[in-house]
Amino acid sequence: MKKFMTGLGAVALATTIGASNANADCGDVSIGAMGWASGESITAVATFVLEVGYGCNVSVVPTDTIPAVTSLAENGQPDIVPEVWRNSAQAYGGLEDAGKVITASDVFQNGGEEGWWIPTWLADKHPELKTIDGILANPDKVGGRFHNCPVGWGCRIVNDNLKVVHQLEANGVEVFDHGSGANLGASIASAFADNEPWFGYYWGPTAVLGKYKMTKVDIGAVDAAQHAVNQQADADPAKIGVSGFPSAPVLNAITADLASREPDVAAFIKNMSFPNDVISTMLAWKEENNASADEAAAWVLTNHTDMIMSWVSDDAKKKLSERL
Amino acid sequence: MATYANIFDFLGLRDWCDESKTKSLLSLRQLKGDDLAWWEVPFPSLDNLHKACAAIPQTRDLTAWLEDGFLAIRPALRFVLDPLTQPLSWALDSALSLFTTLPWWCLVPLILLGTLLSSKSWKISTFVAISFVFFLFTDHYGYAIQTLSIIFVCTVLCTLFGVPIGILMSKNNNARRMIIPILDMLQTLPTFVYLIPLIFLFKITEPKLYGLAIILYSIVPVIRLTDLGIRLVDRDVIEAADAYGMTSRQKLLNVEIPLALPNIMAGVNQTIMMSLAMVVIASLVSAPGLGTLVLDGINNLRLGVGFVAGFGIVLLAIILDRVSKAALARVDESRKI
Repeated sequence: MKKFMTGLGAVALATTIGASNANADCGDVSIGAMGWASGESITAVATFVLEVGYGCNVSVVPTDTIPAVTSLAENGQPDIVPEVWRNSAQAYGGLEDAGKVITASDVFQNGGEEGWWIPTWLADKHPELKTIDGILANPDKVGGRFHNCPVGWGCRIVNDNLKVVHQLEANGVEVFDHGSGANLGASIASAFADNEPWFGYYWGPTAVLGKYKMTKVDIGAVDAAQHAVNQQADADPAKIGVSGFPSAPVLNAITADLASREPDVAAFIKNMSFPNDVISTMLAWKEENNASADEAAAWVLTNHTDMIMSWVSDDAKKKLSERL
Repeated sequence: MATYANIFDFLGLRDWCDESKTKSLLSLRQLKGDDLAWWEVPFPSLDNLHKACAAIPQTRDLTAWLEDGFLAIRPALRFVLDPLTQPLSWALDSALSLFTTLPWWCLVPLILLGTLLSSKSWKISTFVAISFVFFLFTDHYGYAIQTLSIIFVCTVLCTLFGVPIGILMSKNNNARRMIIPILDMLQTLPTFVYLIPLIFLFKITEPKLYGLAIILYSIVPVIRLTDLGIRLVDRDVIEAADAYGMTSRQKLLNVEIPLALPNIMAGVNQTIMMSLAMVVIASLVSAPGLGTLVLDGINNLRLGVGFVAGFGIVLLAIILDRVSKAALARVDESRKI
C-alpha cells in the first residue's frame, strides 16, 4: 500500500513538473471575476492575454467585491482582482497598508463615475430637474423618492450625509434605503419599464447605465476636502456640506506574492487600464447584441488590439499577434 | 463545429440559414483557435447549431423571449395582483409603525404578559425578559421589534390562509394532488428566483414585496401539517360522530379540528421559524430589522456587528420556538383531560 502511495506521489510530481515545463515562463495564476458585466468581460480579456500571451495556467474565480477582498486578506487569493471599487470595500485600505495587496493600476482611466441620476427622458421633459435645487422645488416630478445605497456601501455614508445637507426629507423627498445592489438596479429597470420617474444614486460604467439612459443631477461642484468629510460615518453635522462626487477609484489589485512570483504578469496588470469610452461602448455593444462576457472580451480584443498590445511584453506581443 | 455546418449544406438548407441577419458572435475559444479533437464533438445544442446555421435561435434568444413574454403579460398580472396584495402592504406598514411607535416600557411588559398567558411558564417568561433586556441594552431593541412585527403579520396571514387550504387538501384528493407539487416547488425554489419576478411585478419600495416572499416560503408547513393532522384523526372517532348524526360541518369544527390541533400548532411553530429565517434573507429586498445589521456586518466585514445581530436572531428564534411550543404543550395537556 505504502509503495502504491509513493508511486502515486511520484506520478503526481511528474505531472506537476510536466505542466510547469510546458509553461516554463508562467505558472498557475488565479484571477477573480466580479459578478457584473464589465468585471466579467475585463477578467475574460485578462485571462485570454495571460493564457495566450504569457502561457499561464489561469483559473478564474467568480466572486464579488467583499468576498474577493476578504479572501485576499485571509488567504492571499486570488492573485489578481480586477475592478475593485475601493469605496465599496473599506477593508481594502488596511490590506494595502499591510503590504498584502498592491494596487497595480486604475482599471478605468478616468475612474468610476458616481452620482445622483434621473432618467434622460425625464430631464428632457423637465430640464429644471437637472439640478438638485430644481428637484427639491418639484419633488413630485421625480416621484418624491430618493433611491439610496444598501447599508455597508461607501456611498451610503456619503448619501446619508448629503441627504441632511440638501434637506431631502424636509423638501418632500422620501429616502428609500435599498437592501442590495441588485435591488437598486432592478428599481431603475422597473421604473423604465413603467415610464415612471426615478431619482437616486448609481454608478458607472455599468451595464445598468449602459442600458438605461440616465442624466446626472448637478448636486454642487466637486470639493475633494468636503467630500472626504462627507465620507465619514460619524462626521460632525456642522462640517458636512455640499460637494459632488469626485471620480471614484476603481483598481486592479494584485497580491504581493504574485508581484514577486510572476513579475511579467504583474507588469501587464500594471498597464491594464481601459479608457472609459472603450468600456462604455463595450457594454453598449454587449447589451445590443445580447452577448456573453466571453464574446464581449473577444470584441475588445479584436477591436482594440493596439491598446492590448501596448500593455504586454514583447514576447507576449509576438504570441498574441498570431491570434489577434 | 464544421460537423453541423456540413449537415445543413447536405440538407440544402444553406440559403435558408444565411437569410437570417443575426450573425454569430466571435467567442474567445474561436479566437484562441482551439481546434476540437474528434472525440469532442459538441452536442447539437441551440448555440452549437446556431454557429453552423444562423437561422436557428440561440439559447440566449430563448431566455430573451421568456423575459419579453413576462414583460408583456406584466400589466395584466399587475392589474389583478396589485389590488389583491395591497392589504399586505397596509398590514405590514401599520404593524411596523404600531410596534415601533409604542414605547418600550409599554410594549415589553405587554409581550411578557402575552408570553406568560400563552405559555403559563415562569421559566420561559424569565428567559424572554432577559432577552429583551439584552436587546434594550445593546440598542438592538428597535431592530428586533421590526423583525418581530414582520414575523407577526406574516405568521397570522400564513395561518389564516394555510389552515383552510390544508383542510381543503384533507377533504379533497384532487385538490391535494394539485397543491402538493406547488408546495414542493415553493419549498425548493431558490428564493432569489421568485424574488426577481416579484421585483418586476410590484414596486420595489412596497413592503408587500418582502411580505410575499416570506409568506410564500413559510406557508408550506402549516398547510402540510393541517392536512396531515386532519387525515390522522382516528377513524373510530369519525364513525362515532357519524353515528351521532353530525353534519360534516359539525364534524369538522367540533371533532376534526380540535383533534388535529396539536399538528396544526406544530405547523404554525414551523411557519414562525421559517418566516424568521426568511426575514433575514428578505433584508436584501429592503426588509427592515435585524437582517439589515447582518447585511451590514457582511458588507463591511464587521464581524462583531454581524455576530451580535446573528445572536439576536438566535435569541428571537429561541423565544418564538419556546413560546409557541409551550402553547402547543398546553393544547396537548388540555386534550388529555
